[in-house]
Amino acid sequence: MIPTHWFLILSAILFTIGVCGVLTRKNGITIFMCIELMVNAVNLTFVAYARQFHQIHGLLFVFFVMAIAAAEAAVGLAIFISLFHHRHTIDVDEANLMRW
Amino acid sequence: MFEYVIFFFFAAVAVIFALVVITNRNPVVGALSLVVSFFALAVMYVLLEAPFLAALQVIVYAGAIMVLFLFVIMLLNLQHQEEPRTRPVQQFLGYTSSAAFGLALIYYLAKFGVTKLPEGPFVSDARMVGIKMFEAYIFPFEMVSILLLAAIVGALLLSGRAGVAKDEETT
Repeated sequence: MIPTHWFLILSAILFTIGVCGVLTRKNGITIFMCIELMVNAVNLTFVAYARQFHQIHGLLFVFFVMAIAAAEAAVGLAIFISLFHHRHTIDVDEANLMRW
Repeated sequence: MFEYVIFFFFAAVAVIFALVVITNRNPVVGALSLVVSFFALAVMYVLLEAPFLAALQVIVYAGAIMVLFLFVIMLLNLQHQEEPRTRPVQQFLGYTSSAAFGLALIYYLAKFGVTKLPEGPFVSDARMVGIKMFEAYIFPFEMVSILLLAAIVGALLLSGRAGVAKDEETT
């Protein structure tokens, strides 16, 4: 049986990669994928602690996080489609107005 | 021993393909490597004795959400668009601050993390998850369904061509 802290360290590495992507990239869709990466890292932490403390609540939280990530991806991608129709780019530096 | 081999192999796969996501300039390559990373995370869930969540990870994340991403990338035809370079100062600040954040995270995990093994097997199949969800978490479950409905309506409203048609009328 693998100790829990290995999973926590893997989750920390994945979360850091996600943070790095959000901070350094300009392509909106890539930033979104990095957010998904961070969400998955947090899910891994939830599952690792659920096994550590024998609590099934952690798994249910992962279920809810997945549902909310799906909702967020749908709305966010719709916003990028709308931005692309108006500006013909998804560079997040170009999106500096709330309405146009 | 065999478990450790599987763990380190798939951990390496997850990290390497996550790095491809943030370094590659082509969003299609990024989305496909993110799918591989999610598959590696599903293997992690199997190692953590949560096979139901592993199936959910493959179906919902690798199946549904990433297909949505790929659809949007291909719909907008982004493969040929040059991504402008990040300014050097921003890039430097981004890399250093995220590296500092990650090092601090790993330091505190190594210092204060739980090191003792959990005792006994952990039963977390679909039956246990379902019983808990529909007894203790029925209200959040219904809330999530309303949230998903709101997300559908919002996505349709935002991505529809209504705004574009109005612009063409006025100009």
